[in-house]
Amino acid sequence: MEPKAVVPSRKRKPLGKVFWISVGWIGLVFLLAIIASWIGLEDPNNGDYALINAGPSWGHPFGTDDLGRDILSRVIYGARVSLIVGFGAMAIGMTLGGTLGMIAAYRRGAVDTLVSAASYVMLAFPALVAVIAIVAFWGHEIWKITIIVGIASTPLVYRVIRAATLSYATREFVTAAKAQGATDTRILTRELLPNVLPTVISYFLIGVATVIILEGALAFLGLSVPAPTASWGNMINESRTYLSDNPWLALFPSLAMFLFLIALNLVGDTLRQSFDVQESKL
Amino acid sequence: MSNDTTATDAFPQAEDLSGPLLTVKDLRTTFSTPRGDLTAVDGVSLELGRGETLGIVGESGSGKTVLSRSIMGLLPRSKTTQSGSILFEGTEIVDAPDATLRDIWGAKIAMVFQDPMTSLNPVVRIERQITESLRLHTTMDKAEAKATAISLLGQVGIPSPAERVRAYPFQLSGGMRQRVTIAIALACSPRLLLADEPTTGLDVTVQAQILDLLSSLQAERHMAVILVTHDLGVVATRTDRIAVMYAGHIVEMASTRRLFASMAMPYTQALLKSTPRISDPSHTRLTAIDGRPPDLINPPTGCAFAPRCDYATEQCRIEAPPLRTAPEDPTHLFACWNPLQTGHAGTVTTAKGEL
Repeated sequence: MEPKAVVPSRKRKPLGKVFWISVGWIGLVFLLAIIASWIGLEDPNNGDYALINAGPSWGHPFGTDDLGRDILSRVIYGARVSLIVGFGAMAIGMTLGGTLGMIAAYRRGAVDTLVSAASYVMLAFPALVAVIAIVAFWGHEIWKITIIVGIASTPLVYRVIRAATLSYATREFVTAAKAQGATDTRILTRELLPNVLPTVISYFLIGVATVIILEGALAFLGLSVPAPTASWGNMINESRTYLSDNPWLALFPSLAMFLFLIALNLVGDTLRQSFDVQESKL
Repeated sequence: MSNDTTATDAFPQAEDLSGPLLTVKDLRTTFSTPRGDLTAVDGVSLELGRGETLGIVGESGSGKTVLSRSIMGLLPRSKTTQSGSILFEGTEIVDAPDATLRDIWGAKIAMVFQDPMTSLNPVVRIERQITESLRLHTTMDKAEAKATAISLLGQVGIPSPAERVRAYPFQLSGGMRQRVTIAIALACSPRLLLADEPTTGLDVTVQAQILDLLSSLQAERHMAVILVTHDLGVVATRTDRIAVMYAGHIVEMASTRRLFASMAMPYTQALLKSTPRISDPSHTRLTAIDGRPPDLINPPTGCAFAPRCDYATEQCRIEAPPLRTAPEDPTHLFACWNPLQTGHAGTVTTAKGEL
């Protein structure tokens, strides 16, 4: 009889309370954004003209804006824009930049030189200026903004994923896979991708946070989704005029954005640390 | 569980079994470096029969690893130029397209790498690392491949293979990992196994286990093995023939018995002398070969070993000795102007005993 193998279970450091609170918060924002139309919120776009620029009250917990619109409702509906642009743009950036980065790092040579040069050109050009120019020219529907910001984030993602892949592409297990007859596609998807995935996931969340700020900046310049659609950036922009009369107007969308971004960063960072493979444990 | 039917029957062998398995003719591998061209393998010719074990021995930088990677066709294409010919079962390896090589890699030639810490993918279960090439080169389905993987793990001496197959590499010890890499290499029953210093990263007792495992698997499967090492003690008892490399050349090649009985090259002797002996009293100073291997970008004229050789003469420094056959034994080749007389070599005592 063979002795039963003792396969040690993987002991992980617990992720911690802060992590789970952050995950809970991100989940809550997602949930509210999805079910916004069904939870009896006031119309975010048509206000009560009898009650403008009011502070928090029982009827309007976050107060109302200069057109008498309910701010709570607008903050929740505004999350939709931030989420769509943030996650959508990063999905585009990750797909494009990640694929190119992995291929360039694995193939090296001319492909790498060419794509890396292109990424430097894009990085050398101030992204915000480019995005503003294209949005002004092409239009600012939400899907257009998502695509533009997604493409603008590609070179950054490319550099991160290329660097991450590079550190694995020269490892012996890649040569070993090749020596077993694996094709390049197989090596990329089955050998390298699982190793790069932790970087992809943690960078994705931090990237989403960056994109949401970029959307805010665009909105502040009046170049995000057209009015009256609510977005956190739009709301902060509109609150500018009334900052001294009604500070609540700026506070709630800013707070929503701040808390959401900090949660994204905390989750991304904790994941990165927890994925961080220590060579000594290998 | 049926133990070895699945793995060995995966490749019905139909082609002719006459002639050598591998023929290397005048192979030259050159890397272009910023300092100039470096010829790592310089005019190597050798033949390997089916089921034969060849040891390639030499110092670091003698070209033994490059030779084994050349045979495999695994060197990066850019900045590497190759000339000469490597015929494996009639297929030319030198400058063959990847598509041709992929049919050979894993299926007909496999390799066990030096360091099992880096040659296994850290984030992939060993099951998939073994089944990968089975799924690629054979028609096995998932379940068959898994069963074969388990039987392979059993064959390489891993206890409870059915459970271990689900493990990640970091859950295994160094010796276990090297057993796994051997299982991966053997998955498709290759005709030739290249083992490039397969025991360097392991401690001495595990080294012996791994080498014995390789020998027994080889005998079972009638597989040819090229064992690359710097340690003459390792190849002494486990090879049929030995090729000694220095500065990219084969400087001596003979059957193992003949080599140890009457080595002709002072270099071979020097290598042997620098092998620690178990019979030596403790704190014996290890004998080292004085000097350093030559710079291969600007190779010296004459015999490459001359500057470090006790027997070197004027002729050695001017004219490179050709590879010639020993008068008493036509299979014994050596490249030396002043070969050692029989009896110079003495005996070698290794962990496995007197030879």
